[in-house]
Amino acid sequence: MVIETNNTRAVAKGISVHEFNKFYGAFHALKNMSLEVSPGEFLVLLGPSGCGKSTALRMIAGLESITSGTLMIGDQDVTDVLPKYRDIAMVFQSYALYPHKTVAENIGFPLKVAKTPKAEMEIAVKAAAEQVELGSLLDRLPGQLSGGQRQRVALARAIIRRPSVFLMDEPLSNLDAKLRGNMRAELKHMQASLGITTIYVTHDQIEAMTLAHRVAIMKDGELQQLGTPKEVYANPANLFVAGFMGSPPMNFVEGSITNGLFTAEGISLPAQQLPEMQNVTLGFRPEDCTVVEKGQGQIDAQVFTLEMTGDQSLVTFRSGDKSMVVKMPKDFEISPDSYAAIQFDSAQACFFDTSSGQRLYAQNV
Amino acid sequence: MIRSLFEPRKIGEMAPATKLLLYFILFAWSLFVIFPIYWLLITSFKTPAAVNEGPFFLPWVDFKPSLHAWKDLFVYDLSDTMRAYFNSIVIALTATALSVFVGSLAAYSLSRIEFAPNLITILYFVVLLIGASVAIGVYKTDLWLTLAVVVALFFLLARAVGRLYTARLKNGDILFWIISQRILAPIVVVVPIYMMFQSVKLLDTHIALIITYAVVNLPIVVWLMFDFFNSIPRDLEESAQLDGATMIMTFREIVLPLSRTGLSATTLLVMIFSWNEYLFALFISTSKAQTLPILVAAMNAGERGILWWTMSVAIIIMIIPVVVMAVFLQKYISKGLLVGAVKG
Amino acid sequence: MGRLFLTPAVVLILVFSIFPLVASLILAFTRIRFSGGGFKVRFAAWRNFDKQFFGSEQFHLLGTFGPLSVLAWIVGLIASAALIWWIYRYCRSHFTVIGFIGRLITFAMALSLVWLFAATLLSGRQFGTVGTTLFYVVIGCGLQFLIGTALAFACSQHIRGNRTFRVIFFIPMMITPIGVGYIFRMLADTSKGPFANIWQWFGLGDWSWATDPWASRIFIVIADSWQWIPFVFIMMLAGFESVSKDLNEAAEIDGAGKWMTFREIIWPQVLPIAATVMLIRVIEAFKIVDLPNIMTAGGPGIATESVSLQSYYAWRSLDLGSASAIAYILLFITVVICVSFFNLVVLARVRAKP
Repeated sequence: MVIETNNTRAVAKGISVHEFNKFYGAFHALKNMSLEVSPGEFLVLLGPSGCGKSTALRMIAGLESITSGTLMIGDQDVTDVLPKYRDIAMVFQSYALYPHKTVAENIGFPLKVAKTPKAEMEIAVKAAAEQVELGSLLDRLPGQLSGGQRQRVALARAIIRRPSVFLMDEPLSNLDAKLRGNMRAELKHMQASLGITTIYVTHDQIEAMTLAHRVAIMKDGELQQLGTPKEVYANPANLFVAGFMGSPPMNFVEGSITNGLFTAEGISLPAQQLPEMQNVTLGFRPEDCTVVEKGQGQIDAQVFTLEMTGDQSLVTFRSGDKSMVVKMPKDFEISPDSYAAIQFDSAQACFFDTSSGQRLYAQNV
Repeated sequence: MIRSLFEPRKIGEMAPATKLLLYFILFAWSLFVIFPIYWLLITSFKTPAAVNEGPFFLPWVDFKPSLHAWKDLFVYDLSDTMRAYFNSIVIALTATALSVFVGSLAAYSLSRIEFAPNLITILYFVVLLIGASVAIGVYKTDLWLTLAVVVALFFLLARAVGRLYTARLKNGDILFWIISQRILAPIVVVVPIYMMFQSVKLLDTHIALIITYAVVNLPIVVWLMFDFFNSIPRDLEESAQLDGATMIMTFREIVLPLSRTGLSATTLLVMIFSWNEYLFALFISTSKAQTLPILVAAMNAGERGILWWTMSVAIIIMIIPVVVMAVFLQKYISKGLLVGAVKG
Repeated sequence: MGRLFLTPAVVLILVFSIFPLVASLILAFTRIRFSGGGFKVRFAAWRNFDKQFFGSEQFHLLGTFGPLSVLAWIVGLIASAALIWWIYRYCRSHFTVIGFIGRLITFAMALSLVWLFAATLLSGRQFGTVGTTLFYVVIGCGLQFLIGTALAFACSQHIRGNRTFRVIFFIPMMITPIGVGYIFRMLADTSKGPFANIWQWFGLGDWSWATDPWASRIFIVIADSWQWIPFVFIMMLAGFESVSKDLNEAAEIDGAGKWMTFREIIWPQVLPIAATVMLIRVIEAFKIVDLPNIMTAGGPGIATESVSLQSYYAWRSLDLGSASAIAYILLFITVVICVSFFNLVVLARVRAKP
């Protein structure tokens, strides 16, 4: 994608979300959410469907009212301001292209609304279309475009006004896997070169990891953790985040801690500096462990399957009713139903309070 | 200043002026819709004196309600009223059943099977029909004999004629032809229909009205049901056929249950049209098969002018069933209307 | 098997719709005389049509002609020029023979209607049943369309109670046209009707709208609209609701106000539906017969008589030939106008949509 970085940089503004609450009748859809987005940042709201991420985005856009809380864009309080005065642009999951307007008319619509002179508008439309490589399709109708092209039209319509904030609601979810990968890279590049503050909603953790400066993970209307993709991945704040990030997800073993020792069925690990507790969950990532001979690792288990994914092999163990996955190099071989052991560095393991889900941190005594 | 009144105060809410305007429009129109019905209702409880002495609006306040008009219709003229009611019910129900049955069969076959009737054969048939009409009309040949000759001639020579020229019609053309029948004003066909029924001595019978209403409503049924059947996924039927079901079984076991909404909407619509029809009834029924609209219109014939009070009662008893239906089944009916129209 | 499914419908339509249609055409060229118990049929060639167009019934069908007034000349010439320009532009663009012939027929129909209008009404004379029917169609359908669409748009907004409004607005469509006719006669009574006091206040207490041609026509249009606005309403409501919510929101974010959103986003999308609704309504409106028959019996004089009603009256006086001829004239006008509308407006809209 060709981007002229020097003359297209917009005035990026920060966003401050303070104690957002949203009620639909008695249903509490968004609970006390607070966020600070710095100018030019790419923030991803991540979570399973129904977690309130889209609601939060629509509240920032002004499409839903804010039951309580305040919203600042730049240094302006826009809590009760209509969307058209918020200086934002939004890309919808369905793209929301106007089906009776040509590509050029679609892209130019925000300027038409703003009563921009025709000549100026034409130049701007051309420039925006060039930016997303749509220059040759300006006279087509959206119905005649492919999914990826429609996506680009939606993007062009969003960037043409040089908004101070960009909002995207699962913009890539209607594309096929390959195209999604390409668009992801282009989006990231475009955001970086335009420098527009962006809030992006998705349920796809890979999108979140690859695109975001910071990720906000949500569940049941509550913000679970906010941090850079690396932080969130390496240091999950609770069970939910740990289980949601990563593919395959983190392995969990339930047990208890007594006398600085984590014990579960057939496992006992040192868990120094952790409080004694009845219900504790141990978590470790599939890539942080290896398969070793039986009896030589921390956990003995029976091999369930071996899956080849091309660049690696995934070994699934079954022990009782729980399963654990280990990522091994691609040439690793092991026969199903044989017995082996999992070995991992206990420094990489995380412990969680099973009942509250909160991470247990080592206390410096 | 004025502009700002039309701007919402809060997000997700309507601007105060817009809201006011909307409610004003909606309430004003509700009044316009309801008032005539209200007037009809109170007129039915007025005595002739209360009607003639000027406008009275509120029962018990302006005038004393009386059941006198209701008695007229339900006590003194009970047999007439009940007969018309009975006729209307029988005719509307039967005509609807016939129309929906025949129409949905046609719609189903049009949506599933490729027909390719030969254009020239059709023209040949039309020419035969014209010949028959001339023979019957001008030379007064026997109607049934002539029709039999036409049918015989058609089947004898259809193949031979069909070979002359092989342009074929498509399903869309057949559908369009059926639907386009709706453009015919009843007045264009009612005179020959009258004469047809007269010649077979079926004038003023239920059968005559039932057949007429069924045919008049066929285009609607075919149109609505065609779109409805088209929206049913075909793989269900294909899997039924793989399981060995015949076309009739597939239609009965798979298609009919799936199209229940469409069918009921169409049925309701056709029933209402048949219930309210006036012009054909005026021609075809004179006394025995008289339907409710004719009964209502007959209130006008008296030498004392229009008997507004009894007429109001007649109109009320006529519209109660359909209005009740409208209130409870409005969603269905509108859905039925929409299937066809919205898709174009 | 499939043939068996289709046959009953085709046979029913052939026997009870196409056969009468053909028979009606033949009747239109005959003269039937009833004598004693039987009747005699004689071939009458074009005489039935001749009578309607140029003979003793001309005033009835077409109206009374007089010398054209200045206004009539102006309107007639401007309209003719516009029509010629329209044909010329078509010839210059994507000319096809079939398209040209079709447009030529439309052109001829429009031109004759324009000059009919100019020569009767605009020249201060009465117009006949064709004019009256067109008045019902154009003014009636126009009014129904505007009000029905406005109501549908109002009801498609998120406001409290819009379900109730829907049900209420829908009711008139269910009521038999006969009932509607009589109800409105009651309402319109200037001495005993509900608005009597208002009429009297205006000094119109003794005036009867039934004696004034225009008042009668307008009154029939009002009753017709009362009955049929629900139809437009219901269809357009579905149209408005089928417009995706996302588009509305996208427009809102792009900065468009309510009016702009309506004009630029919503209206273009419901246009194909609107055209279809209009077509259905126009087809039905040409058939109008119950309301004028009930409300005014065609009076005063022939002022409110529709072509259908004229045909009915001809049948009632046992003039079957004229009745059929008139009915065929109506059919011809309806078909030309509706097919033109379908080809030039509805199809054009559908094609424009991707």
